Amino acid sequence: MKQTKVWLLLALGLSLLAMGSACSKGPTNEATPTPSTSATKAPPTADLGTISGVITFAGTVPPAKKIDTSADPVCGSENPNLTTEETLVKDGKLANVFVYVKDGAAADGTKIGEYNWATPATAVTLDQNGCHYRPHVLGIQTNQKLSITNSDKTQHNIHPTPKLNQEWNQSQPNGAPPIEKTFSRAEVLIPVKCNQHPWMKAYIGVMKSPLFAVSAEDGSFTIKGVPAGKYTVVAWKEGGADGTSKTMEVTVPASGAAKADFAFGEGAAASIAPSLKMMPAIEFPMLGKH
Amino acid sequence: MADAPGPGESLVKKEPDVPVEDPITSRSSSGWMLLCALLLTGTIVWALWDEAFGQRPWKGMQKAFVARYTRYLDSIKADAGKSEEEVKQSAEYQQLVAEEDAAREQIKDELAAIEARGKLTQAKLDAITDTFQNQRGKLTVINYNVETATGSAKDKYRREAEKKRQEVVEIELPSDDGKSVDTKKVNYAELEKLYDDLREQKARDLGQKAELLKPASELAKKKNDYLKNHLIGLGPAQIDGLKAGLAKYDYSILGHQISVNEYNIVDRCEVCHAGVRESLDIRPENMAPDGPGKTPDSWARAFVSHPNKEILAIHKPEKFGCASCHWGNGRATTSEVKGHGQHKFWLWPMFEKENTEAGCQQCHAKDRVTQGADTLNLGRDLFMQRGCMGCHRYEGFDRETDALASARQTIGQLEDQITGNEKQIRADQERSGQVEDNSEAQKLLAHAESLRVTNSLLAARIDQLNVQAKYLMQDQKKVGPNLKDVRVKLRKEWVPVWLENPQNFRPGTKMPTFWRFANAEEQDGAHMRDKDGEDQIKAIAAYLWQDSFSNKLPEQQRGDAAHGKQLFESRGCLACHSIGPEDSKIGGTFAANLQKVGEKANFDYIVRWIHNPRERVAPYCPKEKRDLTADDYAKKNLPFVFDTEQHSRCPNDGAELQVQNMTVMPNFRLSENDSRDIATYLFSLSSPPGYADASFMDDANLKEKGRLLIKQYGCAGCHEIQGFEDEQRIGKELTVEGATPIERLDFALQTKHAEEGLDPLKLRPDQKEEKPWYNHKGFFEHKITQPSLYDEGKEKDPKDRLRMPKPYLTPEWRTALTTFLLGSVGTEGANVPSSLFYTPEDQRRQDIQNGWWVIKKYNCMGCHQLQVGQRSVVMDLPFYQTAEGKDLLPPRLTSEGARVDPAWLLKFLHDPSLSGEKTPAQAQQINALAASNPQPSGSPQAAGATGPRLKPQPGLDRNGVRPYLQFRMPTFNFSSNELQVLVRFFMAMSGQQDPYIKEPLEPLTEQEKIAARQLFTSGTPCLKCHITGDAAHDEKAIAPNFLLASERLKPDWTFRWLLDPSQISPGTAMPSGLFRKEGDRWVINLPNPPASAANYHSDHARLLVRYMFLMGPDEQRQLLATGPAPPAAASTAPVQNHASKRRRKINYSHRRQIRTSSPGREAAVNLQSLISKF
Repeated sequence: MKQTKVWLLLALGLSLLAMGSACSKGPTNEATPTPSTSATKAPPTADLGTISGVITFAGTVPPAKKIDTSADPVCGSENPNLTTEETLVKDGKLANVFVYVKDGAAADGTKIGEYNWATPATAVTLDQNGCHYRPHVLGIQTNQKLSITNSDKTQHNIHPTPKLNQEWNQSQPNGAPPIEKTFSRAEVLIPVKCNQHPWMKAYIGVMKSPLFAVSAEDGSFTIKGVPAGKYTVVAWKEGGADGTSKTMEVTVPASGAAKADFAFGEGAAASIAPSLKMMPAIEFPMLGKH
Repeated sequence: MADAPGPGESLVKKEPDVPVEDPITSRSSSGWMLLCALLLTGTIVWALWDEAFGQRPWKGMQKAFVARYTRYLDSIKADAGKSEEEVKQSAEYQQLVAEEDAAREQIKDELAAIEARGKLTQAKLDAITDTFQNQRGKLTVINYNVETATGSAKDKYRREAEKKRQEVVEIELPSDDGKSVDTKKVNYAELEKLYDDLREQKARDLGQKAELLKPASELAKKKNDYLKNHLIGLGPAQIDGLKAGLAKYDYSILGHQISVNEYNIVDRCEVCHAGVRESLDIRPENMAPDGPGKTPDSWARAFVSHPNKEILAIHKPEKFGCASCHWGNGRATTSEVKGHGQHKFWLWPMFEKENTEAGCQQCHAKDRVTQGADTLNLGRDLFMQRGCMGCHRYEGFDRETDALASARQTIGQLEDQITGNEKQIRADQERSGQVEDNSEAQKLLAHAESLRVTNSLLAARIDQLNVQAKYLMQDQKKVGPNLKDVRVKLRKEWVPVWLENPQNFRPGTKMPTFWRFANAEEQDGAHMRDKDGEDQIKAIAAYLWQDSFSNKLPEQQRGDAAHGKQLFESRGCLACHSIGPEDSKIGGTFAANLQKVGEKANFDYIVRWIHNPRERVAPYCPKEKRDLTADDYAKKNLPFVFDTEQHSRCPNDGAELQVQNMTVMPNFRLSENDSRDIATYLFSLSSPPGYADASFMDDANLKEKGRLLIKQYGCAGCHEIQGFEDEQRIGKELTVEGATPIERLDFALQTKHAEEGLDPLKLRPDQKEEKPWYNHKGFFEHKITQPSLYDEGKEKDPKDRLRMPKPYLTPEWRTALTTFLLGSVGTEGANVPSSLFYTPEDQRRQDIQNGWWVIKKYNCMGCHQLQVGQRSVVMDLPFYQTAEGKDLLPPRLTSEGARVDPAWLLKFLHDPSLSGEKTPAQAQQINALAASNPQPSGSPQAAGATGPRLKPQPGLDRNGVRPYLQFRMPTFNFSSNELQVLVRFFMAMSGQQDPYIKEPLEPLTEQEKIAARQLFTSGTPCLKCHITGDAAHDEKAIAPNFLLASERLKPDWTFRWLLDPSQISPGTAMPSGLFRKEGDRWVINLPNPPASAANYHSDHARLLVRYMFLMGPDEQRQLLATGPAPPAAASTAPVQNHASKRRRKINYSHRRQIRTSSPGREAAVNLQSLISKF
């Protein structure tokens, strides 16, 4: 009898234990944890290099078309020789190409997007002078101030048509104070138009980093302040719905310079990536010939 | 032991050799005991465990929720504090803090004085209150005695009261400097006065203090509001509040149970789904078991907040519960499967995620569009567009046919009634001559007379119904083309090719594959074609071919394909139609892909169709049940003319005719040349291959078989077919199909597969494990994907075989239609009491729903944006992706009801050309004019100008409001019914009052006129962009004419539009910032405003609105002459009279058209030819 009691007690104790362990059992975890990637860090300030190059244009240069400014006599008198600015080539060198570091990582493996780039305090200026936008292509950092001025004796309206930022359309009469705006999200590139002067066009590349440049009249560009590393550099030229882009891998040594020459035009057509082919745009005579 | 002792045996009992074992004393049963004890204990333990945990899996979940949510709140608290700090650091906030501090500083001294005074007053009050109240109490007692006593006792108490009043008490009042105490002796009256004075002083001080603090506290409120409005997400204090709530979490069922007594709803979903109603947006990764941001598990996915808080705000869980919408078993808490109702005997299994919106359909079954239920809306669209409703009735769809049937039935009844009355009238009259009594005769005559009046009323009612019937007939459309036109429209040999398998010829077409005669291999299944499948095709083709119009159409020459392409791509055809091969097509899915029209159709017919798709070859008379011929008209000496305007009645019996093709395709008011160019373009895309001989189509013997087959397959559901005009739908009504008991859904031989999760159609190739599909969702999905599936392996007579053809479906469409069917459960099958169903009582909501039926019917959203966020088909076309392209899109209609005068809108929708050329007589005149001026030969456009011509086109080539657009608002030929519904829809969508009564505008004074003119020209260059009617100027115009404003627009809307157009129509070409606020008026935003405007001291924007609304053509011309107009404008000759002006307009539209044509064409020659035409 005594034995039985012991057994009973033992069984009860064991089952209680089992019960206890059953109680403490939490939910099963089916998945494995993944490291968080949201950390950002300050970009390096020392041993910075540059990416520079020349943009060339091969093949026949589409001739710049004369713009009919009869809708606004002021434009006609201020800038009688206004022409389209889509492809500005001088001695085979292409201006107004937006070159930027799209992707890649610094030597220590930090992705370019993980740096916490500071917003410059200085504003970038976009001027309306002689009924076209000056500069025609410009880069700006996110949240950096864009100051828009009107140097013409006529009224303009500035109308950016972004896909990722807020669209707006602001009128700016002759002599009005500058309009200050910012773009909160990176977007390459935002077309800017003026509804009153349909030929007026500008393109704004909004970047998180300051790693961008626009090719000058001699086709040259220099991106400064690049941390050593391996990057994907993209050159963008306007035309069509989304422009044309060329991509190149570039390695920047510490405090060194990297070369990135790009070629546009039919002569360079072979290097166009298939994904960049555009839908054929139909011609809208309203905008073309008049 | 059993043996008896033998005779020779001793009586002495011999002890056995071996002692017998005593089972009780010698054998241990502890093993068994242990086993039993263990079993018993185990059972008890299991019972206890099951009671505490097994049946309550939610307990662990609640604990996990609290733990994980607390961890998540902790993780976001640091950032929340940071963002609050950021706001507090901002200049605006600092400014508000400074302002508040300054205000407080300013009143500091005064406030201190008041507070000191108040303190003293309070001290004095405190010192005397007790004494005073004591005395007053005593007096009250004495007074009570006076009131209740009688006789002499009364006087005694009076004396006592007087004595009390005179009694002097000693009080100790603090002195005014508060440092010493004055002792005073006062009687009751003095004491009372002192007390009242002090109280009054206290109230006065408090009032003063509040007044003094008012500016500062207002500033403090402003400061706190600023912080509240600029904090995105929760602040640290709010997070702490949430955490405090979690610390006191109620770990029970009852604490999280939603119970709605009124509707008998008890839902315990939130016992596990604890985060559903959290104000924070909780996502699965926030609740991951290893901490926020890690990989979520199934519990983390259960703890999320409701993904659509807006819907939850309308459908409050406290009223609706959860299972009303989602289905599932709201009461069950013992397991996930039970809670979700995933059991074959539970009538409302939870909808799968992709079908969630089926729950909406239960209550919103009468909606055409339910806001926020995109999948369900797509399902309804498809049910209509893809022709499901051709065979299946669904309450509310096919409204015109239902209404028409009811109207015709009523007309029949009324006519019977009239006949009956006439009989009675005759009888009454007859009897009135026979009765003897005069008064009896009078009574009879009076009765006859009243019946005559009744008959006249009934006749009026019939007239009204006839008009209704006319409208309904006009609005009645079919999904497929009119097959009475087969002979004039199609290549004969192509018809059997198409019938064999429409999807082969045109992938994605609305025409389903009739697998019983189609020559198409089933996907992974047996070939289900009927034995005589091929003969069926022949018979059907023969019937259609032989019973078809064979009229002669105007012959057409080929035109300019390049110009046709340009027109096709820019006029708006692509809003409904697509073009291009299947893998690279662009355009809408509302109508057919036109890539291969050239392989099937007759060019002449297509030109005529593009020119005016509504133009019918011959009218159909529903009364005589036949198509009328020219002879019918000739017999009555009438021209063979039929249209909706004035020639819609039958020459034989006056019944309303079907005068239009039953297509939703509108009339684009294209010229014959343009129609020809478009057709030429379409025909240039493909050419007919060599077709097999189809001479059997003329075999009269096949016709009868064809007729029977057409009847059997219900072709007339989608097509007009001769002899089938009154054919009923052949399919099952689907209004409450989702409520069909599962055992009545005929899975046929697929039942076993369905139960075991074997899917012969492999609808979800990505799905890893087999999932049983023996449920409504599984049945519907398989049925609509492959209807023949449920006939597979069955031995049936041909007449009993399933008839439903196989429609073209994308996976998205399949889900949408399944969702629609799952939710179609009616009152009986719903998991919601019908008192909760959505039945809009207010006119506004009804107007909106009525409008959606028409909007969807004609695919208005192919071109227009009706709601913010909705994308039209044309917005996504490749041509309109550039910054310039966006300006060429059709107008956004998001605020149309607020923008335009409803009377104008009605007019515009009736005739979008606003040309006024409405009557055919007028149009005929133009046509006669055109015909008398033959075009010069050599011009490609003039090549087809011989032979019979197409009917005249009223409003030819005109855009009423926006002539600068390539897109053209077509003429839909809406009936008055639909016009009214549309106008009311737009008004209701913008929350406008109905009817709209125009506010008269105050006329402008001379001074105002001058100021307004200056604002118009030197300031804001309005005429730079807006149309003026001057052709040279308008070449570059991109906005409507101001002369339309007074009739078209509403002044209030126009005022708001001037101030900030982007608020009304984001992305518009009209710039913002034209005015700035100065005090409470808006002034022109110019650094140097013109003098007269600067001297105008009222609102500039309002002035401009008035000016715009009162502007006449003369004023506009004057403006154009003085303003910075293009030099070309000066050369334009002044307009002489109205007629010449109109001619100029027409010319101008032609010039535009030429301008848009392909380069290289001699525009000048064409222009000359076109001008000479008029």
